[in-house]
Amino acid sequence: MNSQKPPYHELETRMKEAEELFHALRTQQVDAIVGERHIMVVRLKQAEENLKSSRNQLRALAAYLLSAREDERAVIARELHDEFGQALTSLHLGLSWISRKLAPGQRRLQEKIRSLSAITTSLIRSVKNIANELRPGVLDELGLVKTLRSEAREFEGHTGISCRFKTNTARTKFDRSAAVAIFRIVQAALTNVARHAHGSRALITLMKKKNGLILMVKDNGKGISSKLIHRHDSLGITGMRERALALGGTFTLDGSKSKGTILTVQIPLSRVIVGAAR
Amino acid sequence: MKARKRERRRNAKPGGGTYVFRLFVAGNESNSSQARGNLARLCEEHIKGRYKIDVVDVLKDAAAAYKNGVLVTPTLILLKPLPKVTVLGNLNDTGQVLAALRLAGDER
Repeated sequence: MNSQKPPYHELETRMKEAEELFHALRTQQVDAIVGERHIMVVRLKQAEENLKSSRNQLRALAAYLLSAREDERAVIARELHDEFGQALTSLHLGLSWISRKLAPGQRRLQEKIRSLSAITTSLIRSVKNIANELRPGVLDELGLVKTLRSEAREFEGHTGISCRFKTNTARTKFDRSAAVAIFRIVQAALTNVARHAHGSRALITLMKKKNGLILMVKDNGKGISSKLIHRHDSLGITGMRERALALGGTFTLDGSKSKGTILTVQIPLSRVIVGAAR
Repeated sequence: MKARKRERRRNAKPGGGTYVFRLFVAGNESNSSQARGNLARLCEEHIKGRYKIDVVDVLKDAAAAYKNGVLVTPTLILLKPLPKVTVLGNLNDTGQVLAALRLAGDER
């Protein structure tokens, strides 16, 4: 018979040893592997911890940069609105005053003033738009829900893509920085819909549920590819993800040709709603 | 006969003899340091005064590792009392380590 075959208990011992070895490796309890010629020191745990720590530092830096940028935008928007807006309005009023004082015969001067007045009006509108882009006044004045509703309407007007907004948070009071983050995520998501989705419909939902606040932006376009989702230079997606993570939330993006693209952000209620239990 | 003898050894209650351990480590790497500390603590708590620990640093003495069939560090070998037992890892799981070394319940 087979005299080379080790007895059963030896096989059993070897199996047990192999299992133990596998367990030690898997749980990162090994710090050196003894080879035939070399001893290889492994520092998996340490490397993983270092990586985790670097990731956390980067995340904190990203959150800080995003918040600093929002603050800066708010300051520039206010300056633009207050300083330029005010000065241009005065200029406009002054031109009207001069126009009224001119004699009826001074037609050429009248026309010049009318043209300058039109330029001033256009400048006032531009300044207002730029300030609004930088920091939608309506977000501070009317709150997140009305801003998102207005954003959906404007998006539909600009792009011709039908855009609906649904929510059950109409009476909810949102934390200011969380509201800004959610608004920016929606803005970026809609930009992507307009640029890449090639769809005809978009839907924004903001729902308060037991497990958190859930924001979804869906479209019926061609669907984002998984390759694009994980590309490092997809800055729009990275920005949205960082904003969600900075609020202690999660960010997922799914795409398929039949379903379009679905963006989902889930944020703990304690981080977004004023007065919610922590 | 052999099988019965082996079974008897496996289930043998720890007696009053000395426990001899050989612990293979890799310098002061994290798991190796933990294993050293854990083994010393377990011995002090369970078999105080009845143990001997021989620590082998494989970075200095690789031959000892080959000779003992050690594949990774930390590896603990209980040499005495027989049967020989090998435990891998940092020995953080006290319950499992005590059971493997047949020390569970031996508080003398």
